[in-house]
Amino acid sequence: MDLLGQVANGFAVALTPINLLYCFIGVFIGTLVGVLPGIGPISAMSLLLPVTLSGTPESGIIMMAGIYYGSMYGGSTTSILVNIPGEATSVVTCLDGHQMAKQGRAGPALGIAAFGSFIAGTVAVVGLMVIAPFLAGFAVAFGPAEMFSLMILGLVIVTFLTQGSMLKSLLMASAGVVLGLIGLDSITAQPRLTFDRIELYDGIGLVPVVMGLFGVAEVLSNIEQGVKRTITSTKISNLLPNKEDWQRSAGPIGRGTVLGFFLGIIPGGGAVIAAFASYALEKRISKTPERFGKGAIEGVAGPEAANNSAAGGAFIPLLTLGIPPNVVMALLLGAFVIHNIQPGPLLMVQRPDLFWGVITSMYIGNVMLLVLNLPLIGMWVQLLRLPYNILFPMILLFTVIGVFASSNNVFDLYVMLAFGLIGYLTRKLGYEAAPLVLAFVLGAIMENKLRTALIISAGDLTTFFKKPISAVCLTIAAIMLLMPLIPQLRRKREAVALEDGNN
Amino acid sequence: MKRTALALLSAAIFAAIAVPASAQNFPTKPINLIVPWPAGGSTDIAMRAIAEAASKHLGQPVIVDNRAGGSGTVGPAQMAATAKPDGYTIAQIPITIFRLPLMQKTTWDADKDFTYIAHLTGYTFGVTVRADSEFKTWADVVKFAKANPGKVTYATPGAGTSLHIGMEQIAARDGIKVTQVPFKGGAETNAAVLGGHTMLQVESSGWKALVDSGQLRLLMIWTANPSPNYPNVPTLRQLGYPFVFDSPFGIAGPKGMDPKIVATIHDAFKKAVDDPQVQATLAKYDMVVNYKNTADYVKFVKEVTATESKVVEMLGLKKKD
Amino acid sequence: MKSSGLRINNAELWGGAIWFAVSLFVLDQGQKLGLGSVNAPGMGFMMFWIGIVMAALSLGVAVQAIRSEGPSVRALWAETRWVKTLIVIVTFGLYGFAFTSLGFLLSTIPLMLVLLRAIDPVRWTIAIPLAFGAPILIWWILKTLLQIQLPNGVFEIG
Repeated sequence: MDLLGQVANGFAVALTPINLLYCFIGVFIGTLVGVLPGIGPISAMSLLLPVTLSGTPESGIIMMAGIYYGSMYGGSTTSILVNIPGEATSVVTCLDGHQMAKQGRAGPALGIAAFGSFIAGTVAVVGLMVIAPFLAGFAVAFGPAEMFSLMILGLVIVTFLTQGSMLKSLLMASAGVVLGLIGLDSITAQPRLTFDRIELYDGIGLVPVVMGLFGVAEVLSNIEQGVKRTITSTKISNLLPNKEDWQRSAGPIGRGTVLGFFLGIIPGGGAVIAAFASYALEKRISKTPERFGKGAIEGVAGPEAANNSAAGGAFIPLLTLGIPPNVVMALLLGAFVIHNIQPGPLLMVQRPDLFWGVITSMYIGNVMLLVLNLPLIGMWVQLLRLPYNILFPMILLFTVIGVFASSNNVFDLYVMLAFGLIGYLTRKLGYEAAPLVLAFVLGAIMENKLRTALIISAGDLTTFFKKPISAVCLTIAAIMLLMPLIPQLRRKREAVALEDGNN
Repeated sequence: MKRTALALLSAAIFAAIAVPASAQNFPTKPINLIVPWPAGGSTDIAMRAIAEAASKHLGQPVIVDNRAGGSGTVGPAQMAATAKPDGYTIAQIPITIFRLPLMQKTTWDADKDFTYIAHLTGYTFGVTVRADSEFKTWADVVKFAKANPGKVTYATPGAGTSLHIGMEQIAARDGIKVTQVPFKGGAETNAAVLGGHTMLQVESSGWKALVDSGQLRLLMIWTANPSPNYPNVPTLRQLGYPFVFDSPFGIAGPKGMDPKIVATIHDAFKKAVDDPQVQATLAKYDMVVNYKNTADYVKFVKEVTATESKVVEMLGLKKKD
Repeated sequence: MKSSGLRINNAELWGGAIWFAVSLFVLDQGQKLGLGSVNAPGMGFMMFWIGIVMAALSLGVAVQAIRSEGPSVRALWAETRWVKTLIVIVTFGLYGFAFTSLGFLLSTIPLMLVLLRAIDPVRWTIAIPLAFGAPILIWWILKTLLQIQLPNGVFEIG
């Protein structure tokens, strides 16, 4: 049992007092930067990277992992409490998490997010230990054509399962893609849709878009509806998920974990798609899909589990091939390099202590997060007892700071206001913001993949159908698009939409 | 409020570890170093090692900010357009910054829009295939390409990079036609060739770990002399091509930087590339320090632009206007 | 409330029309950026095709709006406190302009006062400490601890 021995070694490293302290600091800072939307885990980690190098590599990496997990969790906290997603991956959590909060069930929502993340994180670590070597090929099997088709599928899934008209969701998704293309083109470096504003050369920032569409738009709608909809009026029931919540969440957490793990392996956008796909899956197989979007705990449990296990899956291409699938992994690589350790397929053989140290630290990070955040739930919930007329100026102040701190640019403040207005108006007409955000995140990557795929195939459009993975993705997408046209199925879907219209 | 007390406390911890005391005027806060390639590629790894060493001398962290795209020009172009010349935003300057304006319309002018700081190092370029590929040597590739014009696909980190230009020069000499597939950098090209999406990868030494572990095969390298790490792999010259491609790079900031700040950054990076630990990391990736001071770098920019102009024209890639 | 057929104040129809205009713009921009060829797609390739898709979708929305019922524009804002929403939007817009010229503190404190008093008035004894306290505290944290410089405006306050 060489494997178990090595895992035990990893834990021995992770559980020393000094490393536990680093872990706690990491999780704590992570939760903080997650809650403050402008300062992401990446900037916090880059800032702290040099500091961690004074200690052992293990300590540094444990702290880094803590920041990462903490920020993921912090992002869901603001999604649930005030409808402001800290990260693209927690956009989905807004949909039902914030509704739960409005119904006085913020505690269970926060609780299930923490437990769901913890369970998924744990399973992902085990998965990583056992099957990582077999999955190396899976990561690179996704070439440009496959990536493009997968993203198309992701967008179709989301549009298919969000509330209301599919036409409207598809329109929002298309608009999101276009918004994602703003800035310098990724192949020729020439400006597109920038209207000669140099601020737009970088593209539109995700933070102002998301805070506008969700945070500001939510405030505007709430003010218009008057205080009757505020959270204070509802009684805050129990702080932790009850038995029924657990029964409802068990399945979503399990499925979200598996889905997240596999989608997380795919570089670029994997974790985001995983969260959205998990939500869609739960709604699809639910016996009561009409509850989604109105505070279904499944809609929090599934995506939260998915984005956490996606983080575990993301280690596979890094550790087996040396290809970091996201910036956070790359930062960890940076730490290795400075210690003269070569990242890549030989890491596991050459430095098993470090390899397992990293993996077990992910697990420790999850435990710490649970320990740290469960007591905080009560405190967060207290925040919601504030009357809305005091709370909403605070929320707006919070968005201003978040947007400004992330870019140091007043332009982004206007972008946020503009998207607040867009979000408010589109909401009135029954357009969902979630497809736009997903498409916005994926837009530029999708375009790049489409173009590269066509170059590789020498302009042969059938390449998307000749490659099996790509063909499967596109077939499922096509079926979903055509479904509403078949009368019987349409009725089922409209039943869901009508429920919504009767509010 | 309890919440703010908590925020304060953690912010204090954050600040205490993040901001070491510094008595210097510049820098008083972390410096952003834009690396216009994706994380995990060879440039990224080298720049992270250099940045870490430089931050020791600057007394402030140098934060690597990966902004890939446009063959390594999107990052510097964004910097030139938006960043303040206060020294807190600098960028790695790949050769495409000088070459792309010759090939197409661009948003920057390499002569005017940057404050050049220091020239640092160069690359080792190589052509790799997947281990199970039918191509055992470069001659196999040429043979196949002659029989199947345009069928050989090669992944590069971007159009107009030295990899693209170099490969086209090789192809032109052999009279073969090969198809370039531009990605955003080394991490992506590795995945492309490993997944069998392109036949070849032409990239700087980010493939090293994969070649060492036997998942990729290195067919040739483009340096003047054989690599000490791979003594059996032929260079272009050994294969009978009169070429050496290395594509050296340095760092620069937006135009109009204070010369004092330029000097401070220059000194820190000079010390960084002299650091034996940095040199060890660079050597692992077959990169050799190629230091030039600020004045020499500016001169070098002019020379390189002139020679590039000729090459681009010869290949028929020159901007039409 | 429900009526079908072509009605000019059908909000859904207006929605479709606006989207159609947007899609034409996208299409046109894509065209201008260059479509390239199928084996080497240009910068405008994706944009052009997305524009076409959007145009089709927005026509779909418009057709649906004509065929089935949609709320009138007025109905969307009926029985809402739209004046209060408008106040927030306008205040926030002005705030954006004031942000750099007046600086963070001089613009944020009045913003908070307006928001706290103009919508659902909060008692002055709470509103004033909050409007002054929260921005100052945040400004202090950002400036001294996180070293993020907020604009200090022409009066150099902050």
